[in-house]
Amino acid sequence: MELQQSQPQPRYWQSLDELKGTPEVLEAKRHEFQKGVTDGFDVKQMSGISRRRFLAAMGASAAFALASCKSYLDQGEVVPYNEQPEELIVGRPNYYASVIRTSHSATPVLVKTREGRPVMISGNPEHPFSRGGISSHAQARIMGLYDPERLKEPMQQGAPTTWTEVDGVLRKALSGLAGEGKQGLVLTHCLMSPSAKKSLDQLVKKYPQLTVHSYTHLNHSHRDAAWKKSYGQDAFPALHWDKADVILALEADFLGVEGDAEAERLFATRRDIMNEAVKFNRLYVAEGNLSITGMSADYRLRLRPDAQYAFVMALAQALGEAGFSLPGALSAKAAAFNLKQFNQTYGLAESTLKHLVADLVKAKGKALIYAGDRLSESVHLAVNALNEALGADALYDFTHPALHQHPLSNPAELQQAVAEMQTGKVGLVIHWGTNPSYHLAAMGYAEALKKVPLSVMLSTHANETSADCTYTLPVHHDLEAWGDYETHSGLCALQQPVVAPLHKSRQAEGLFLTWAASADAAYSETLYLDFLRYNWQESVYRQSGSLLDFQNYWRTALHDGFVNYRKSGASKPAYRAAALNDLVESKAGDGYVLSLHPAYATLDGEFADHGWLQEIPHPVSKVVWDNYAAVSVATARELGVKTDELIQLDVEGKTLTLPVLEQPGMADKVIAVELGYGRTQAGTIGSQVGFDANPLIRFDSATPMIAAVNATKASGKHRLVTTQLHHAFDVPREQDLHFARQIVNEGNYGDYLKDPHSIEMHVHKIPNITKPIEYKGIKWSMAIDMNKCTGCSACIMACNVENNIPVVGPEQVDKGREMHWIRLDRYYSGTPEEPKVSLQIMLCQHCDNAPCEVVCPVNASNHSDDGLNQMAYNRCVGTRYCSNNCHYKVRRFNFFNYRDEFAKAYYSQELAQLQHNPEVTVRSRGVMEKCTFCVQRIMWARQEAIREKRDLKGTDVTVACQEVCPSGAIIFGDANDKDSAVYKYQDHATSYKVLEALNAAPSVTYVTKLRNTHEKV
Amino acid sequence: MRKSVLDYILRIYLPVTLLVVVATYTVTYFASRNERYHVGYAPEQPINYSHELHAGKMGIDCQYCHTAVSKGRHANVPAASTCMNCHSVARTDRPEIIKLTEYYKNDQPIPWKRVHKLPEHVYFNHSVHVNKGLDCTECHGKIQEMPVVAQVKPFMMSNCLDCHRNAPERYPHLVNLTGLKKGPENCSACHR
Repeated sequence: MELQQSQPQPRYWQSLDELKGTPEVLEAKRHEFQKGVTDGFDVKQMSGISRRRFLAAMGASAAFALASCKSYLDQGEVVPYNEQPEELIVGRPNYYASVIRTSHSATPVLVKTREGRPVMISGNPEHPFSRGGISSHAQARIMGLYDPERLKEPMQQGAPTTWTEVDGVLRKALSGLAGEGKQGLVLTHCLMSPSAKKSLDQLVKKYPQLTVHSYTHLNHSHRDAAWKKSYGQDAFPALHWDKADVILALEADFLGVEGDAEAERLFATRRDIMNEAVKFNRLYVAEGNLSITGMSADYRLRLRPDAQYAFVMALAQALGEAGFSLPGALSAKAAAFNLKQFNQTYGLAESTLKHLVADLVKAKGKALIYAGDRLSESVHLAVNALNEALGADALYDFTHPALHQHPLSNPAELQQAVAEMQTGKVGLVIHWGTNPSYHLAAMGYAEALKKVPLSVMLSTHANETSADCTYTLPVHHDLEAWGDYETHSGLCALQQPVVAPLHKSRQAEGLFLTWAASADAAYSETLYLDFLRYNWQESVYRQSGSLLDFQNYWRTALHDGFVNYRKSGASKPAYRAAALNDLVESKAGDGYVLSLHPAYATLDGEFADHGWLQEIPHPVSKVVWDNYAAVSVATARELGVKTDELIQLDVEGKTLTLPVLEQPGMADKVIAVELGYGRTQAGTIGSQVGFDANPLIRFDSATPMIAAVNATKASGKHRLVTTQLHHAFDVPREQDLHFARQIVNEGNYGDYLKDPHSIEMHVHKIPNITKPIEYKGIKWSMAIDMNKCTGCSACIMACNVENNIPVVGPEQVDKGREMHWIRLDRYYSGTPEEPKVSLQIMLCQHCDNAPCEVVCPVNASNHSDDGLNQMAYNRCVGTRYCSNNCHYKVRRFNFFNYRDEFAKAYYSQELAQLQHNPEVTVRSRGVMEKCTFCVQRIMWARQEAIREKRDLKGTDVTVACQEVCPSGAIIFGDANDKDSAVYKYQDHATSYKVLEALNAAPSVTYVTKLRNTHEKV
Repeated sequence: MRKSVLDYILRIYLPVTLLVVVATYTVTYFASRNERYHVGYAPEQPINYSHELHAGKMGIDCQYCHTAVSKGRHANVPAASTCMNCHSVARTDRPEIIKLTEYYKNDQPIPWKRVHKLPEHVYFNHSVHVNKGLDCTECHGKIQEMPVVAQVKPFMMSNCLDCHRNAPERYPHLVNLTGLKKGPENCSACHR
């Protein structure tokens, strides 16, 4: 009790309520389970059958069973193939290299199939960019394949129709355009496929009235446009994030939604404690909303996004003073700015700005400033000039610069197209995978679409736009389709079908080719494949100069999933200072500013119907199944609202009412809202989740996603479901001891360099009253490097897919019944205004002296000889004692059969069930479960070792979370092998075990997070 | 008083106890008969295929047909195409072969009745056993002498453990040959 009084401020806190010491929250933390975790078992609600009727039915079925006693022996049938497929061996997975596409990216992947059925998507480990890393979105695509609500056949305004009819109608409409003097439109996502582009070209060539528009909310348009003005080239180079000593990210979430697995991987190579050859980089982030990148920052500046221009200018001025030669136009414009003055206005930490300028000066040639996609072109122009002055030519790589197959249409062009639709000039619109009625709501797309006589949607799923389309045509899912994707010049990835089409869908590019061909040409599944092969033979193969014949070249490409066929020898083009003439000064307002972001869970809404993604807690706020207006504590007070209360946002007459979340680390006066929610036509899962902020986008502005906004308190409340205090570790009395109890540890990189052992935590020498267990063979262990973890949550998705984790829905999450085996704990320290973030991946620690094992009355939870804490589901009777006794709170209980319980048994439908990993039991109601260290993968490795007549090694096993982690933060292996990576991590000076003092002897080692700051932590 | 107690014991207590004892014995007996665990189960198959003929008299190796048994968890039932390797020319006039050819030509998979089946929470692995040199007959009995395949052993966990605990003593010749060790006894070796 004394401790509590002496130190009322906990060092680490997970929510504002906890920081304030709200009694309910502190009380709640004392309990193992959420309050209400066992509520809601109203018998009447659960089933219509009463106990008596149930008994009667049981009796009757028992009687029937007895009557037909003869057949209890029947074991069913075992039906083999008629013709054995050559590559298929029952029980062995096959892997195919392919590509998963989102609205803005194409991820090279490896698809695992079992008996012809895809069960998991992971990154292609051989691709030079991703090296096996993959985002949670690309992994979640597998859920879309087996989605029972996929489009199954061509539909004409809600009624089934045939492809023959569709072909006829479309051909007629397309050829009729010229006669009617009308235009046609094709709207697609970002076009990344050269062959798809060519197939569209053929369509446009045949019907010249067609115009192709492509757009996506997740674009680098401003960056690329500024690059072109500054360097006269379209091709934005690949960035060597690994070679930069100092990085300044301006409102740029390059480790999150604005980046990719490559940026994460390269960044993490400079946070590698085991590699003494490289020093840590230093990351400065200036942003309004706390992002994934902001969480990883060494120094974070809270800055409203519309003040970024002034910040860049003030920084330019400061760098000019520090002796950098800036282009004349920039120093002239920057003269009016002053970092000190700027600092006074926005109250940034003066010491941080001093460090920033000094570090940029010191790291000349190895410093990089990166501006975010949502900032104006002017900011990017100024940033290009600054980078030029910093002279970081070595950080740009022109071997495989970014490539656009088709330029993205800018907002003005889209606006123009909508206007033409509105005036009736457009006779036909073909949407390919896009959802403009939702995305372009601010342009009034949905109303304009109604004026178009014939509209077509080519998609895998119905959406807001297809609801107003004449024809809704199902196209192949990524796993059923052919394709090629060249997002980086010279690196072409090949997409191949890994499963035959499940429904009556067609390849979209094949449809374009069919419609472009003569009237009697019929669609066939090989049409586009032949076209693709021809294109490859003519362009890729020719340019590659390969010595193989084409057939072998093609086969190799299919096997590898990509070809590296061309390297551009270009070096950095000369900088054109004249670009700075286009600088448009933008003044920051002093009212509220709205900052719209693509969502971490749903991106631009494309993934709204993927339950797994909706249920992964937001990496920063831990909110699930919702979006909200994130504001700082001060701004919330100013607005007179608290978390969960509603505010109304008004951007030039367009309004949106949504709940507020008080988010530590937000810049004052900034209101951050995620896009991608509030969809109305996203099936059972995605509809009516969150609030649609698309109408607030201001396409006519230089920064469509950042706008001045009027915010007022609205009446009412909306409960945001958050997991941030679920499974929290500590009890209030020991709050202050959080640090001392060794849950999260952190240190300073400078201190570490001076003396690695200064970071070391106190190692406990605890006497054992029992004999410690000896592991003679392999001892499975894990190490988690918190220096590398960014919080991207790809590991959670991999675990979901690999281990058949059910989706439980927001109501169940609210009761603390989420089923994730691996979670990402996020701790704040410091003040709510300037919090520092510590992340911690938490999963079953497989303790040697596991407290869960000793309390199990039926020995369902017990220990194996190789260090696994096992969970035998068929023994479990559901007492939940184990969970109660687990101090890491990693055990999950099946309060329901969630597949039946969630959304009208959505995931128990036959089609959705095909997704399950056949090597892992689908747990039923009343059973406890938890991380198994992917024991199915261990058993597989063991089987292979026996087959190859060798001993099993620790390196034979890659667990699912480790496999996908883009930054390589998770290491798994044999702790008894002194040469293994996991042993070296365990042995490292900065590694520690969570709650070591309890003497549970966990098998998971954590590496202390080191902050590369000038000051001590 | 005493009489009534005696009367109670004789008329109610004794018969009820006897009934319970007899019922328990009977139920336990019937429930734990080997037949309950499918021992002796020999269903009629769609094609009257004889292991006695193929594996016994002709001596065809098990793995000629059950190819996956050394490669993965499952011992596959061969595809009809495997049968047709021989039967496209051999004995094409026999009624059972005509049936087989029918199935094959009509592209209809043969609905074999399943004989051996473990509960769904058991992930038995054929390949680790076969690759350690264990003979198929150890669990499946003398298949080469069965005109119709029947289950010969009750596949209970105790049967598995019995062997796992004593493997080197049971199969001493395999210890040096394939490095046979005791089998794992931990839960997640089979349940996960």
